[in-house]
Amino acid sequence: MQKSFIAQNPSVLWFLACLGVFTLGVTILSEATGTGVISTSFVKTLGKVLCLCLVAIAMDVVWGYCGILSLGHFAFFGIGGYAVGMWLMYARTEAIVIENLASRTIPPTPVEVNEAIATQIFGVVGSSDFPLIWAFSHSLTLQMLLVVLVPGLLALVFGWLAFRARVTGVYLSILTQAMTLALALYLFQNDSGLRGNNGLSGLQNIPGFEAVPQSVISMGFFWASALALALGYVMFARVLSGKMGSVIRAIRDDEPRVRFLGYHVESYKLFIFTLTAVVAGIAGALYYPQAGIINPAEIVPIASIYLAVWVAIGGRGRLYGAVIGTAFVSLLSSWFTGGGAPAVDLGFYTIQWTEWWLVLLGTSFVAVTLFFPGGIGRVFDKFARKSS
Amino acid sequence: MSTLLELSGVSVSFDGFKAINNLAFQISEPEMRAIIGPNGAGKTTFMDIVTGKTKPDEGRVLWGEKSVNLIGKSESQIAQDGIGRKFQKPTVFEAQTVRENLAMALKNPRGPLDVLFYRKTKQGAARIEALAEEINLTEQLARTAGELSHGQKQWLEIGMLLAQDPRLLLVDEPAAGMSPAEREKTTQILVRAAQTRAVVVVEHDMEFVRRLNCKVTVLHEGAVLAEGSIDHVTQNPEVIDVYLGR
Amino acid sequence: MIRILTFALALLCLPVALFAQDLQSLLQTHQKVVAKPSRKSVGPVLDALVNSGLPQVPGFLEQWQGKALYVRKEDGVFFYTSKGSEGLTLIDISSGETSATVDAKTMKQVKPNGGVRKAIGAALVQFQLSDPNIERRRKAVESISQKLDASQIAPLKASVAGEKDAALKLRKERLTGYLTARFGTDSAARVAAIEALNNDLSVQGRAVLSQILEAELVAAETVPDANLAEVVTPGSSALSREAAYEILVTKHGFPPRVSDNDIRLALEANVEGGKAGGVPVVQLDDLQKRELAYDTLAARGLVQTRVSDADLDRAFGEWGFYQTYLEDDTAVTAAAREVQKTIQTKVSLNQAADLGLDAISLASIYFLAAVGLAITFGVMGVINMAHGEFIMLGAYTGYVVQQFITNYTLSLVVALPLAFAVTFAAGVAMERLVIRWLYNRPLETLLATFGISVALQQLAKNIFGTQARPLTSPGWLDGAWIINDVVQISYIRIAIFVLALLFLGLLLFILNKTRLGLEVRAVTQNPRMAASMGINPDKIKMMTFGLGSGIAGIAGVAIGLFAKVTSEIGSDYIVQSFMTVVVGGVGNVWGTLAGATMIGVFQKGVEWMNPSNTLAAQTYMILFIILFIQFRPKGIIALKGRAAGD
Repeated sequence: MQKSFIAQNPSVLWFLACLGVFTLGVTILSEATGTGVISTSFVKTLGKVLCLCLVAIAMDVVWGYCGILSLGHFAFFGIGGYAVGMWLMYARTEAIVIENLASRTIPPTPVEVNEAIATQIFGVVGSSDFPLIWAFSHSLTLQMLLVVLVPGLLALVFGWLAFRARVTGVYLSILTQAMTLALALYLFQNDSGLRGNNGLSGLQNIPGFEAVPQSVISMGFFWASALALALGYVMFARVLSGKMGSVIRAIRDDEPRVRFLGYHVESYKLFIFTLTAVVAGIAGALYYPQAGIINPAEIVPIASIYLAVWVAIGGRGRLYGAVIGTAFVSLLSSWFTGGGAPAVDLGFYTIQWTEWWLVLLGTSFVAVTLFFPGGIGRVFDKFARKSS
Repeated sequence: MSTLLELSGVSVSFDGFKAINNLAFQISEPEMRAIIGPNGAGKTTFMDIVTGKTKPDEGRVLWGEKSVNLIGKSESQIAQDGIGRKFQKPTVFEAQTVRENLAMALKNPRGPLDVLFYRKTKQGAARIEALAEEINLTEQLARTAGELSHGQKQWLEIGMLLAQDPRLLLVDEPAAGMSPAEREKTTQILVRAAQTRAVVVVEHDMEFVRRLNCKVTVLHEGAVLAEGSIDHVTQNPEVIDVYLGR
Repeated sequence: MIRILTFALALLCLPVALFAQDLQSLLQTHQKVVAKPSRKSVGPVLDALVNSGLPQVPGFLEQWQGKALYVRKEDGVFFYTSKGSEGLTLIDISSGETSATVDAKTMKQVKPNGGVRKAIGAALVQFQLSDPNIERRRKAVESISQKLDASQIAPLKASVAGEKDAALKLRKERLTGYLTARFGTDSAARVAAIEALNNDLSVQGRAVLSQILEAELVAAETVPDANLAEVVTPGSSALSREAAYEILVTKHGFPPRVSDNDIRLALEANVEGGKAGGVPVVQLDDLQKRELAYDTLAARGLVQTRVSDADLDRAFGEWGFYQTYLEDDTAVTAAAREVQKTIQTKVSLNQAADLGLDAISLASIYFLAAVGLAITFGVMGVINMAHGEFIMLGAYTGYVVQQFITNYTLSLVVALPLAFAVTFAAGVAMERLVIRWLYNRPLETLLATFGISVALQQLAKNIFGTQARPLTSPGWLDGAWIINDVVQISYIRIAIFVLALLFLGLLLFILNKTRLGLEVRAVTQNPRMAASMGINPDKIKMMTFGLGSGIAGIAGVAIGLFAKVTSEIGSDYIVQSFMTVVVGGVGNVWGTLAGATMIGVFQKGVEWMNPSNTLAAQTYMILFIILFIQFRPKGIIALKGRAAGD
């Protein structure tokens, strides 16, 4: 069966091959394991892009295949980041605190250690107690479980409420946007238990690997991100192939009709919504240790809309389209905003791209929606059709 | 011949307009029934109520040997119970192939996990072939449904209906926009289906109804005006007044 | 001797007493004190001056207080002076006439210290209270009101009768009431004054009551012989066990509690040979072991013994805790408590009313921000993510107009229609260029308009910069309508409320009574039929979209008046606006009104329950909306039946 799945979806093989070559190339050119042409910070950027690609294919599945324009998947991404960030921050602070307390005449009690960690972490928001939601932060295993469980449960409850009430189309988009806003606003509070707008920081320091240079750690995360993207891609391709994919696309195209065929549409939507939310959480958990910091500004609704923009530019309804769109736009964006693009002198006015990039992105996005609804992926489709 | 579906005292109103007014209706299995009536007589609303799309304000809709009340059940549950519906406008999934359309409709467990781990079977493939044969689409199995002609789409939809293997088929204007030859074929498919199950056809075209050769129910202002053979109802002066006379 | 003589002389010349007893001679009787006043000695002199009834006394007191009084060194006579080029020109105190110019060295300035100046000021107040100038009277009343003092009762009371200004008279009477309530000597009069406060919601009136009811928490072994407010049990919400014991420690010499940190410090100080209190140091990472070690040290008398919970219980068994009023008169405190209760009820009622006003004002802002959407999204089914940027466009239009027209009222009159025109044009352009190609693809519309929103926002940043631009409201909109100390609302918010009402009326009129409205409804319900009846659906959609966008522009000017104009001003409102439309029910102006009202009321309600945190209020509001959609998926005012579509 597996064989025929690959045979039915040659694009999966192609994608895996491309991703493999890319990973190998970066490995050879990196500072840690190769010639050093690619700087450590750029390896981190590439690793982050891979994570964004992973959340983008999740977005593509839920929007491009199932027709739910969710403006909340970047919130799930952020939750994953927060979940892993809590452990990173706790473990790292614990190591520092224990080192500091070791100089005392008598050894510290567990309570003292705990208080010192809490003061260190929550001092910025004027608290010295651990909030309830940090109950599992001492355990990597439990926090990793939360990476999956919290976005999954949130998506499950929210999706159940929304789909049950038959909220569809733009209404659902607005509702997911509201959910994202509610979450962001909640996190912005100082007493949210997650350090308010300070967010969690210092996440690039991995406890237990203090001696390992960042160049090696970033390579590790890069590989992990590539592996996660590959696994995610294969999993989604498998889910979308065969009858499941058929039903999901049918729901996108004509939901009431699927209902009259006897399918409980709500369960399907809930399944896809939750599954993609979990994948988004995992992608976030891999992204933020590479970014080093997470704060509520990361998950405001506009981030989720950008996610949709990437998918649309790449061409929705094709998994590789989401990957191409995300990689293309996010790399281009960092090139433009990072000052890499040369300014254009018009004689009477000089266009600085750091200022004008968003204007360009916005208008070109309108153009893509109007004139190239297939996005970049359409081009690949044409190649594929010609070659076959 | 036992009663399969029974509606009694069903009423529903939209913004004060009574679309269905104390309607009573019965059909047995197997049976073929045609429903006619002028625009706004409540034909589509009747189907909406039976399939669970619209909840009536009052009345009962009883189904099957155990007389289960269908009111309050979801569309998908009712469909799984064995009621299939064909819409007036052909609604097939145009982005997917004819085979995929039929495979989706095949009678199989409908849960997400069942579907996720669904394996194609020989019986399933054979059933699809047989259905395609029945609806004249064997050649088109691998084509995208969007590329089919209007009549072929109507057939595909009937085929999907048959694939569900329902006990009751609700068919809304199956012959609309068809050529005479296509109509002939459609009639055959429906008549054959009615040999083993209940079929309700809503149709405007009297010639088509006459060819179905079955009991006819005339709806008017949300209630049954007359019932009987086509000749019987067409001679009813009231029917002539409200429907045929215009 | 001289004093007696003068006195006798004054008595003899009684008919001309007013003449003879002039200010200077009165001052001379107290010469030393006046020339070198101290806080202690100045009292009798002031009394004498005030009682003399001389018309020059108020003026003198002011000069004295203002350090403008001089004394001639040779004979101790007092003068006012004015500085001239050749020295000081002397002015006679009694007559106010210039007498001579002398060398400054022969004169000494009288410099009363701060305490004295205050005392003089207090004496002055009674004159100012009856001053012919109403401004001075007001000032005097205000200065009394700022610091209530027992000494002011009599002069204030005396000045009430002669007061001609009704408002000021009322104020004086009130103030007298406050003073009597707090400092009166007669218990019955105080109670009466307190009971008169029954209808007084002002902050000051409430402060007077709570000052009367000021209480002190004391610990005692027997019930103290004082005006008892209540008995407090340690461990209740009013008094924690720790706080109760702390009173015993600080006031009654109980041994302080030993904290975990104290234990650690004590142990650290007593480490000997790798052990502390007989326990090896390495084992001291356990709290119980530490306590054990500490107790050993305590038994040896090296440290203070720990105070256990049982010790606390014992102490609390012997000692009671009492809130006692500082005021001794039980009748007064009882009356004050009674009145405070009724006032609190009234205050909460008024607070509810104030909250209601706030909610209405918030609702009208949401309504203004959302009603444009209600048209584009509700009536036409087009979702416009750039709606917020149209609001921004309107606000910036207002700002630009103010750069050219400096009269704020006039600029507002110009800005409102101009903002409408600008955003109307922008809306029409957007509809023509983008939206009309996407009419059957709502999700694509959402994303395309989002692209426009991003571009417009950045464009605004490039043009106007990131810092906030002021949009100043005209002077007549400043300030607030104050109903009482609890209920008030700013004029801007009233104006926005009026604007919202105006728009509600206008839109209802346009949609229900005009040809355009009829055609709009026809096109939205059945475009094909409308087209066949000679209505140009393209034109109607364009006009409708322009109308919706234009209203956003006007809303932008209104919002800009109270919020700072930045490129993000629109995105702050966009989600709430969508919520308003969805909650209210799509396709219906009344629905938007209902949605805005509900969201406004709910948000203010949550803020009221948790006033410190407006972020939390918004979070709860959104969660509430998500749940609300469960029960009314089509909003408060839903279209029913087949017209609602699928």
